[in-house]
Amino acid sequence: MFNINTQSLLDLLKYNPSDPLIFSTSLFLFIFLIFLVFYNLFGKNKMVRLGLLIVFSLYFYYKSAGYYAGILVISAAVNFLFARFISSTEKPLLKRLNLLLAIILNIGILGYFKYTNFILQVITEINKGQFEPLSIFLPIGISFYTFKSLNYVFDVYLETMEPTRSFRDFCVYVFFFPNILAGPIDRASDFIPQINQDLYLTKEDLGKATFLIIAGLFKKVVIADYISLNFVDRIFDFPLRYTGIENLLAIYGYSLQIYCDFSGYTDMAIGIALFLGFKLMDNFNSPFKATSIADFWRRWHISLSKWLLDYLFKPLQFSIRSLRIFANIIALFITFVVCGIWHGAGWNFIIWGALHGFMMSFALLIQKPKQKLYKMLRIADTKFLKFFQIIITFHLVTFSFLIFRAPDMQVIKDAITQIKDFFHAEVFIQFAEKMPIILGLMVIGYILHFMPVKIEIGFRKFITALPWYGQAILLVVVIWIASQFKSADIAPFIYFQF
Amino acid sequence: MISPELKKVILEQLNLDDFDIQDETIAPQVPGWDSLNHINIILAVEKHFGVKFKSIELLRLKCVGELQKLVDSKLGK
Repeated sequence: MFNINTQSLLDLLKYNPSDPLIFSTSLFLFIFLIFLVFYNLFGKNKMVRLGLLIVFSLYFYYKSAGYYAGILVISAAVNFLFARFISSTEKPLLKRLNLLLAIILNIGILGYFKYTNFILQVITEINKGQFEPLSIFLPIGISFYTFKSLNYVFDVYLETMEPTRSFRDFCVYVFFFPNILAGPIDRASDFIPQINQDLYLTKEDLGKATFLIIAGLFKKVVIADYISLNFVDRIFDFPLRYTGIENLLAIYGYSLQIYCDFSGYTDMAIGIALFLGFKLMDNFNSPFKATSIADFWRRWHISLSKWLLDYLFKPLQFSIRSLRIFANIIALFITFVVCGIWHGAGWNFIIWGALHGFMMSFALLIQKPKQKLYKMLRIADTKFLKFFQIIITFHLVTFSFLIFRAPDMQVIKDAITQIKDFFHAEVFIQFAEKMPIILGLMVIGYILHFMPVKIEIGFRKFITALPWYGQAILLVVVIWIASQFKSADIAPFIYFQF
Repeated sequence: MISPELKKVILEQLNLDDFDIQDETIAPQVPGWDSLNHINIILAVEKHFGVKFKSIELLRLKCVGELQKLVDSKLGK
């Protein structure tokens, strides 16, 4: 009996491709608590504390990527050396050559794992052949840690940061488990200086960390996972089986789902990092409150959009600046297509990126006449205008997410056909009666998103004011609620027939 | 110290009557100075002072004070 238990425990701790160690699992919670105890026990012994952090981070990554964790280690070593070469030479040509090699190597590795099959598929389709995908494993988080390492190399090249002399510190930065799988893509220049600071948490830090983990768990497990499994996925699997109103609700549901899933996960990452004494950059800022697509990108996946702005858009924009407004348009379009490709190997991501590039470029072209029109109508800077700008931006973004989500163009066509030709608004009543939890979660999710920031700040202050055991109880209550939602049977889905 | 000349070029491009621009001022602090408008300001500065910046020099800029230093270095000040 004992042997079986030991074996199953070992199996649980081993790499399992279908079971990455994400924050919302009980296994993560369990081993993280053990790690946190030791991390604090050695709080004053920097050598041991950082050593523990590196080992735990590597284990965390191994649990999700298996022996492909080796690529992470090689990538860190190579980028550390590239940055060192770049900073140690005075010759601009050698600096540039090293930078170029670093880019080729990083993008080459990323490209091989992520895009080989897609490129081969496109080539085969052009030649009208039969495509047989190669068996290439995609190491989880590779897009995130590649961009993290590259920003270090770029900043050293631009001389906007001093390279670290310590490979240990660089490993802490690249391997850091809270943000390795899904960001934020933190900046080396912000993160590395924090490594050698003493482990010290203020009451505000502790309150913020607890708040973020609570908010993140609620968004990820209670809202995103639940509405995805029980509603959104089912509609998108077979849009033609459902009415237009259900398709429309699924489209709104998916916008909420993707926001809660992603921002919930990064909230947890930022909260967990804070428990370890590290401040990561913000990644989301109520993105559906955006008044334009440009504003949306200042609020959505901020760490990626800032990365693309600094290391792709600006170099492109500066190098062709004599083209004036067209320099912006070309740079915008290329940046957003790359943004789409970064998200995944598929036409849906490329079209999604291109659509955002187009919307941004179009907005730039009509900027001046638009401002004139607002002044003429006397609505410039009014709440009335802002309200409509938010509504329009939200719907443009939501439509773009339909493209992002759809496995093929047929799904988009089917969903739109149903909305256009088979709407049946009266089905909403049945939907509300049969699926009150889904509807309730969607309403709560959007209300929480659109509520004034001061309410969120107030809640954070309330948590901060609680004694540590009060915060712990609150955290346990939310974990319990989340586990109830997680273990709940899949709600029977009512197939409305007409 | 930001020269009145540089300040004038920046404010003209942003259609601002006045704004307190200091050495440590960064673009997002100035109304209208976003990443898209940045290119117009750079082109206007290049034209006004008769200088040409390299892309890498522009990528290194962190604040207006650094832009001032870059202009000065190009003018041999």
